[in-house]
Formats: sequence, structure tokens, C-alpha cells
Amino acid sequence: MNSRVTQRLVQAAFVASIALLWHFATASGRVAPLLLPPMPAVGHELSALAADADFWPDLRTTLFELVMAFLLAAAAGTAAGYAVSRTRYAVRTFEPLMAGMYAVPAILLFPLYVLFFGLGPGSKIAIGATIAFFPVALSTITGLSGVNRLYLTAARSMGASSGQTFRLVMLPAALPAILAGLRIGANAAFMAILGAETIASFAGLGHRIVSMAESMDTAKMFANIVLAMSVAAMINIAVSAAEKRGWKHEQA
Amino acid sequence: MTPAAPAIRVQNVSQTYGAAGDPRRVVALGGASLEIARGEMVCLVGPSGCGKSTLLNLIGGLATPESGNIWIDGEPVRGPQPQKVAFVFQESALFPWRTIQENVELGMEFQGVPVSERASRARESLATAGLSAFASHYPRQLSGGMKQRAQLARALALRTGILLMDEPFAALDEQTRMVFGEELSLLLANAGKTIVLVTHSLTEAVFLADRVAVFSARPGRIKQIVSVDEEHPRRQSFMTSPKLAQLRNELYDLLHDEIRSTMNLPAAEPGQ
Amino acid sequence: MSRPEPAVARLAVIALLLGIWEVAARAFGNPLFICPPSRVVAAFAALFRDADVVEAVYYTSFEILVAFVIAVVIGFALGLAVGLHRFTRGAMYPVILLLYAMPQVTILPLFVVVFGIGAVSKIAFGVSHGVFPMIMTVAAGAQSIEPILLRSARSMGANRMQVLRYVVFPHLVPSFFAGMRLAMTAVLLGVLVAELYVSQAGVGRFTSAFTQTFQPANLFALIGVLAALAITLNELCRRAELRFSRWCAG
Ligand SMILES: Nc1ncnc2c1ncn2[C@@H]1O[C@H](COP(=O)(O)OP(=O)(O)OP(=O)(O)O)[C@@H](O)[C@H]1O
Ligand SMILES: [Mg+2]
Repeated sequence: MNSRVTQRLVQAAFVASIALLWHFATASGRVAPLLLPPMPAVGHELSALAADADFWPDLRTTLFELVMAFLLAAAAGTAAGYAVSRTRYAVRTFEPLMAGMYAVPAILLFPLYVLFFGLGPGSKIAIGATIAFFPVALSTITGLSGVNRLYLTAARSMGASSGQTFRLVMLPAALPAILAGLRIGANAAFMAILGAETIASFAGLGHRIVSMAESMDTAKMFANIVLAMSVAAMINIAVSAAEKRGWKHEQA
Repeated sequence: MTPAAPAIRVQNVSQTYGAAGDPRRVVALGGASLEIARGEMVCLVGPSGCGKSTLLNLIGGLATPESGNIWIDGEPVRGPQPQKVAFVFQESALFPWRTIQENVELGMEFQGVPVSERASRARESLATAGLSAFASHYPRQLSGGMKQRAQLARALALRTGILLMDEPFAALDEQTRMVFGEELSLLLANAGKTIVLVTHSLTEAVFLADRVAVFSARPGRIKQIVSVDEEHPRRQSFMTSPKLAQLRNELYDLLHDEIRSTMNLPAAEPGQ
Repeated sequence: MSRPEPAVARLAVIALLLGIWEVAARAFGNPLFICPPSRVVAAFAALFRDADVVEAVYYTSFEILVAFVIAVVIGFALGLAVGLHRFTRGAMYPVILLLYAMPQVTILPLFVVVFGIGAVSKIAFGVSHGVFPMIMTVAAGAQSIEPILLRSARSMGANRMQVLRYVVFPHLVPSFFAGMRLAMTAVLLGVLVAELYVSQAGVGRFTSAFTQTFQPANLFALIGVLAALAITLNELCRRAELRFSRWCAG
């Protein structure tokens, strides 16, 4: 038998067995519904989400925080990355500094942000932007300072001005790295915002999940988790699609 | 511009890499001189690392010599001169995110050539390079030889009087190089360009060049110039002629000791 | 005039930022929310005379280390399984990728429901973060072994164990340490997020206490300690990686 087909079958079997396990575990009453709600209940809650009056404002809050954090990080990150990549000296001075800061779990700053910005969207936007800033800035630096020297020499030999070199050579050459940084940043910001809402907030998807966990409404909680995961999947799909569109020459 | 001036004049040019006192300091060129007439094709041959690429970059104004002078059309070189000099680099310097046509147009775009003229000039030079069918391909979809032809097309589209080529065929296999050499010879005969070409293949040098400049080992100087008295375009028959073989042997003799000395081997005893 | 070494310039930049912070906090800051670095340093000394805080830092470090070890062991085993066998790879890799792409924070409350609010939930959450980068790096490393090396080992009569021992493991050394570094970063994140969410004995208890009672100096000091801990652990893993990436199996 074709091994590709077998692999797909094994994957399907894996998913199916998890579903079955879930079903029997809950149906037999061996696992308390408090820990693991029955599948149909989760499905039911998922379909009921749309009708839930509280759901849309929460989703809107999270998406608003995400968009704001991402825009801030994208603007500040690319600007900082550009500024640093202008000279080799600046790269050697600032790149290790930023890389070092990136390695510290920035979520540690969240209690401070709560202190400054309160429990509302402000602290979520700040933590999301902080966390997304580093991958964007670092990959902008990598992209712009790592442009093949030969491309620059060739452009110079053909009479490119410095503006033309930046626009027509550096930017396209660095774009894959910058876009990859933006994708990592978008994901990191979403995780950070969900995490921040989980840790301390009044609103948003993360907050919903926590409040349902606290009220032991596990079926609802699972439905919201599934929803948050699909938002994350959608962000990934959207950003990857944007990345691919810019890269016709890579696919052909 | 004085009509009598040679196309390229290199006078006692030296170049050093690395600051004084740096243990990695390298004297790449040590007083090279060379004159190249308009419409002439000169090949540079020499041991690896003797400063051939360095000299080419200096002629093209991509770097400034430490001492000595270079003139193009009688004017001193002070920086890149895209109107007069075009480059073909050893590795592919095609931009991977642009199609072949867009790559060929890029130099003209830099120089502000109007859009409509760009397209027609690009098509024309792509046709010369035999790449018309690949105008809308991306570089990575081309073979090594096609990429080098595309680089050549880009250089030709700039319509410069001078073409500087740094080992443009190094990445190609022997047979392709030979065929390519014939094409180039034909092209040169028609275009009347001044060409400086760096190569490691002595056969190629003799086959293509009006004169072959032989470099000494580093610090590079021009040790001798060998003239090849043969009409362009040159045909396959020249490739296999005794004349070519004899000239090639002459070059080999000139280079032999230089190469041994770059590898720190003792010079061979004559007649051994 | 020559420029200072980049490392010196870097220190100068850090000093400058601290200076701006000091001045700005003294001039404009509301002492309920922000405090100058000089007061953080003072708070630092006082804070670590408090036995409870020291205890909490130890406790959290313990959680991090246990989670790290578990993540590395499980991740290495799974990474080998995924990387070495085409069949397991085809079957498991997409599932692992899918799990890795999930926003794990959303299931943090679930971890707490299942494992309670003690150390176990933090460790489990840390493992859930750290195990994936380890799997990915080890699997990628195992896949990059030149088939010719495996073939030549077999041609010389190596058995399965010998192939693992003399070809696969030496080849995997750099990936193993690279994976460890990534796993450490991820475990730190997982454990600290879980601590911040709910905590009984770890540092999370104090971060929320300091936030609620508006003690910015203590909060800064504690966070500084945790950041220093994170930097140290990351740096240890990075050094190990650097050291062993020079290893060349080929
Ligand atoms: N950018 C540079 N920095 C430092 N040293 C350099 C640089 N470019 C060239 N060199 C040194 O200058 C010498 C001449 O280099 P060049 O590239 O001109 O040699 P070449 O004759 O073109 O050699 P090859 O035939 O191998 O291409 C070499 O010894 C090289 O080490
Ligand atoms: Mg060279």
C-alpha cells in the first residue's frame, strides 16, 4: 500500500482515537465532566457562542488589542531595525543587546504594565507590542544587514542612487526576513495578549476562558478554547498567505 | 575626451587590504600598468589571489586605488561610471526577486531610461544572448550558463563602451564554455566593445583575446603581454589549431613559476 | 578619533537608559506606579532578607529545572522517533506541528483545573512549552544525517545500536544543545506565565501581592531577579550550544 495513504490513515486514526477516547471517557462517567466535558456538550456550546451576547464584545476586545499591539510593534520594530542596520557599528552595538532582551520572557513585565496601565486593554496592548517588537526589529536587522554584498556592488556598478539601492535592492532582498519577523511577532503578540488576559483582566477571550474555568463551566471553556485556537490558526493562515504572495519567484 | 586616448589606461596601480600593522594585511596589487585600446579584447590571467578581480573593480570605479592612476577615455576614474562601464560578475548577480526581463531592465531603471525604451532594449539584448524565451522566468529557474548569459544581456543593455567580465564562465562546464566563447567572439566582432575579461582557462584566454595580460604572483603586476594575432569572430577551427596550442603553452610557461611561488613551492629547475 | 568597542558602547547605552529612567521617575513618576532604579536597588537588598521571598524564588527555580529536564528527555525521545523513521514522521509530525501551533496559554486554566494550583501544574505547563522546540530541533537534526554515512556504517557491519551510537548520536550533538536552548526559553515562559496566573508558593504570589499593594520598588526588584535568572539559564544553554556546535560529526 502507498505509504502516503497509510500515513494519512494513521493520522486520521490518531485523531479518531483521541475523539473516541474522549467520548468513552466521558460517556462511561469515568472522568468527571468537570475535568473533561462530553464532546457533544462542547459542540453545543460552540454553536451557542455566536448567540452569546457577551461573546462578541470579548472577541472584539482581544482583536482590538491584537491589532493595536501588532501595528505598534510593526512600526517601532521595522523603524528601529532600519535605524540600527544603517551602520555595521550600530549593528554590532545594538543587535546583541536586543537579542539578549528577546531571550528574557517579556511576560515578566506584565505585572509592571498592570501597575502602569491598569487592567484594561492598555496593559494588554503594551505587553503584546513589547513581545512582538523584538522579533520584528531583530529580523529587520538581519534582513537589511545581511543583503548579499554582490547585489549592492552590482547595483552600484549600474549607477543606482542610494535611494534606488534601498528601494529596489535592499528592501526586496530583506523582505522575506522582515515578513518572517512580522509573522513571528503577530503570533507572539496574540499569545502574549491571551496570556495577559488570562493572568489579569476584565475582558477578552483569555478572560472568558478563565472565568469559565473558575465557574467550572468546562464545556463552555472548551468551546472558547477551540475558538481561540481557530483565531490563532486564522492569523497564521493570513500572514503566511501574505508572505507567499510577495514571493512569486520562490514558488515557481 | 581626447580621441587619441586609450579606452582604459592603468598606470602603476597598487592596492592593499587591511590596515598597516594588521597581520592579515595583504598587498593585492603592486604597481600594475596596462593600456587597452578602444574595441580591444584583453584577457587577464594569473595565479589565484594575484589581484585580477581587484584590478577589475578599480577600473570600474567600485574601489579607489591606494596609489597609481586609472583613466577611462582619458578621464581619471573617480567612482562607478555606469554610462561607460558595465560588469559581468563571477557569481550570478541577478536579483532573485526579479524576472530575467526585469533584471535586464534594472540598470536602465537606475539610470532613468524611459519605461518603453527599457523594455525594447531589454528584449533586444535578451535576443542577442539567446534568452528571449526566458524573459519572464526567475533567475533560479535558469541553468548556470543561462544565468551568465542573462548577466551578459543586462550588461549589454546598458550600451556601454566597456565591458568588464570577472570569470564569467567559471561556473560552466568545459564544453559549454567553448561554445559560449564562440558566441562571445561573434558578439564582440559585431559590437565593437572594449572588453576586459578575467579567466583561469588559458585556452579560453587565447581563443577570445586580442592580447593576454599575464599577472605575476601577489603582489600582482603585469608580467608580460602576449598578443594573439587572429581575426574576430573566431571559429571552432581556431580552437583546435596549432597556433592556439602554441600560444597556450607559452602562457603556461609564463605562469608556471608564478603559481608555484604562490603555493610556496620551490621554482622548478629548468629542463627538468 | 576611533569609536569605543561595541561592548563598551552597549554598556553606555544601558547606563544612559537607566539614567533617563532615574531622572524621569524622580521628576514625573507617580510613586504608586513607578520608582527610580536607585530605589529598586535599595528594595532589592531588603526584599532578599525576607525568607519567604527567597523561598519562593527557590521554589520557582525548582519548577523550571524539573520542567526543563522532563521536556528535554521527552522531546529528545520523540524527536528521534520522528526524525529517524519515515513512517513515524509521516504519521506524527503533522500532529506535533498542529499541537505546536496551538495557543497553549488558552489551556492554562485547564492545567490548573487538572493539576491543581501547586507546582505540578507549573511543571506540566512548562513541559508543554519546552517539549516542542526540542522535538523539532532533534527531528530536524536526525533528518539531516547524510544517508551515505548510515550506509557506510552499515557496510562496515555496524548493527542498529552501533549506528545510533557511532553515527546518529554524534551527529545529533549540536541539535541536542540547540534544542536545549530553545527548550529553556520556552520552559521559562511556560512556568513564569503559570506562576503569574495563579500561585501558592512560587514567585507569582509575590508579584500579584506587590501589584495589588502598589509596591513598584519591590515588584521591579523581584522581576529583575527573575529576569536575571532567565538570562543566566538562557546564557548557560547558549554557551553549551556554542561549545558543542563546533563539534563536527561529518
Ligand atoms: N575585500 C577584501 N578584503 C581583504 N582582502 C581582500 C579583499 N579582496 C581581496 N583581498 C585579497 O586580495 C588579494 C587579491 O584578491 P583578488 O580577488 O583580486 O584576486 P584574484 O586574482 O581575482 O583571485 P582569483 O583568481 O582567485 O579570483 C587576495 O589575496 C585576497 O586575499
Ligand atoms: Mg577573482
